[in-house]
This record gives sequence, C-alpha cells and structure tokens, in this order.
Amino acid sequence: MHTNTKMTKNTKDARKSRQTYAVGALLVAAILGLSACGSEDASTTSVVEVSETGATKVSTVLDEPFAKPDLVLTDTEGKPYDLRKETKGKPTLIYFGYTNCPDVCPLTMNNIAVAKKEVSKKLPKSELANLRIVFVTTDPERDTPAELGKWLKGIDPEIVGLTGDFDKIQAGALELHISIAPPTKDENGKTVSEHGTQVIAFSPKTDAGYVLYDKSATVQDYEKDLPKLLKGAKP
Amino acid sequence: MVVAGGIVAGGLALTGCGSSDASGSSGSSAAELSVKAAYMPQPVTDSMAAGYLVIENKGGAADELTSVTSDLAQDVTVHETAGQAMKQVSALQVPAGGELVLRSGGSHLMFENLKRKPKEGETVSLRLNFIKSKAITVEMPVKSATYQPTTGH
Ligand SMILES: [Cu+2]
Repeated sequence: MHTNTKMTKNTKDARKSRQTYAVGALLVAAILGLSACGSEDASTTSVVEVSETGATKVSTVLDEPFAKPDLVLTDTEGKPYDLRKETKGKPTLIYFGYTNCPDVCPLTMNNIAVAKKEVSKKLPKSELANLRIVFVTTDPERDTPAELGKWLKGIDPEIVGLTGDFDKIQAGALELHISIAPPTKDENGKTVSEHGTQVIAFSPKTDAGYVLYDKSATVQDYEKDLPKLLKGAKP
Repeated sequence: MVVAGGIVAGGLALTGCGSSDASGSSGSSAAELSVKAAYMPQPVTDSMAAGYLVIENKGGAADELTSVTSDLAQDVTVHETAGQAMKQVSALQVPAGGELVLRSGGSHLMFENLKRKPKEGETVSLRLNFIKSKAITVEMPVKSATYQPTTGH
C-alpha cells in the first residue's frame, strides 16, 4: 500500500477536492467518492482529473481559464506588489500557502524551484528570465514580509513572496477556485492555517490561469512542463 | 553505529525479548510493530520540520502511537491533516494486521524549534511511544527537500 501513497486519497481529501474544484468536477468527486468506498486506494483527486483531462495526470488544463486576480499585496521587501501589473505577459506560477507549514507548502515550492534549476541548465537564460513564481501567504499575521523573505531564501530567493490583508488574499484565491479559511487557534493555542492544494500556471500570452497542478506534482512533472509553460503552450 | 535508513526496533534489539518477525503471527493477540520507510525532507529553516514513516502491525491487536521524542527537537507532535489544515492529535491508531501511514499531505510528525537544521544525508533519532507496545527507536534519514518515496507505480 505504501507504494501507492501518491495515489491514495482518503475521504478528507475528497472533502478538500469538493472545496477546491469547480462545481462540475465537484459533483463527480462526490458521486465517485461515494462509489469508491470499498476501495482503499481509490484516488478521488485523480478521479476529478480524469473527468477533466481523460488521464491520471497531476496537471489539468482548464477549458475555461481563470482570470488573474486583481491583487495588490506586499512583497518581501515591504513594497506594494501589483500582481497583474508585475506579471503581465510573463509566465507565472501562483501558490497559496504559509511558512509555518512543514509539509505540503515547502515541498510544493521546492519542487518548482528545483525544476526551474534543472530547466535552467537546458534552456537559454533569456527564456527563464520572465518566469514569475509567486507564493501568496494564507497566514499573513505570522508571515510578515521579513518572515516570508527568510523562508523563501531557503528555497529560491527569486520566488516572489506576498502578504497582506487576509480577506483580500482569500478573495483572490477564491477567484482561482481555491478556498482558504482564516487561521484559527487550536486547543493548545497553536495557530492552524490552511494552504491551497494547487499551483496555477498563467500564460504569458493571455495572462489567464490555464493549468492546475495537483499537490502530487513532482519535480519531474514541473521540469517536463516548464518549457511549455514558458511559452504559454499546453503541457 | 548509525546507518542511514537503518531502523532499529528498540525493545527487540536491546533486550532480545518479545516476539520476532519470524513467528508468522497474524493470529497473535498482541500488536507486533515495525517501522519502515522513515524519512525527513530537509527542512527550509530551523523552525520546523516534518517526518514520515510507516508503522506496520503484524499482530492481532491494534495499538496507538501516543508520543514521539527526538534528539532534534524538544517539541515533536503527531499531526493529522484534515482538509487543507493540519491538526495536532493525541494519538494515532495502528490497526491490527494493518499499518499506520504517515506521509506527505497526510498524517505526519512535526518537529518545532529545531536544535539544528538537519541536512540531507544526516539522520535524526526518534523514539516512538505506544500505549501497549514497547517504544521503537528509529534512525530517520534526512532526504532532499523534494524527496518523494513513491515512484508512481
Ligand atoms: Cu503539522
């Protein structure tokens, strides 16, 4: 079973999929989620993707791309960062997470950073120069510009880190069908935050978000797709 | 004495008591635990790290992982992931004849306020404490930040 962990999803994941995917997929996830009860290894997330791409891929090309959210936040230098303006005409990857996340957030960002490094060995510098990797915090209270900067420096200092008003961030995420609850405190007084589960790739040609990457996307997946994403092509 | 990836079942190795794996004990009424596939992705900073492993139970009774101690941090907690948030839990079940899987995106060990920043190639010592079974000592190898144990097959 451990050999299948990548594909293994439990019902909690199914719930999450229902939260984060568009309505059509949502119903599919719900129905198949129920019918898959007998099978331990039923992959609910992949089921959703199957309905959209016809393959068990970690990425999903959207039929109806997302508009880039109109977000003006604060970067790791403490300066205002206008997402639309700064990333206009540039291939852009956006992820919503938080730095006190030991698990999925650093893995996702490291996967992208390592993939970028690998791709940079094969492509001319000019092709990668436009790539923008944007990490938007879902825990702005703890993720100050300085904290974000410190954390991202440990991954890839070129990643843009954004923080700001939670409501604004939440609304921006929701435009990308990523729902994030505000941080809460648990019984021990520890802050509990949420992260998004997808990375969204925006095309340099249309500035629209046209590919979703699941949290199971690996370095190799990003490495394979990046050259195409840089051109706004479908992976 | 530390071998990267090496996992020692503390109680068994040290005292030689308890049942061995060879006793083909699926009908046994006690939990029989062993740990495999342990790893820690190299953390970004020294403020926190995650650890993953699989606890296999060949015995006929369930057990519970209740606490973890480590040389890496005073503060080690067991977390499960609910939806998009993780949450500290007081115990996780190791089902009879089954396994408890701690994996990226799911339940995990969380180390906070690290005494050092572990680097790829190093190991971290852990002691897993259970309700019934003896504690198990694990030498958890530190892997690259992007390490994933599955190859998708
Ligand atoms: Cu955790």
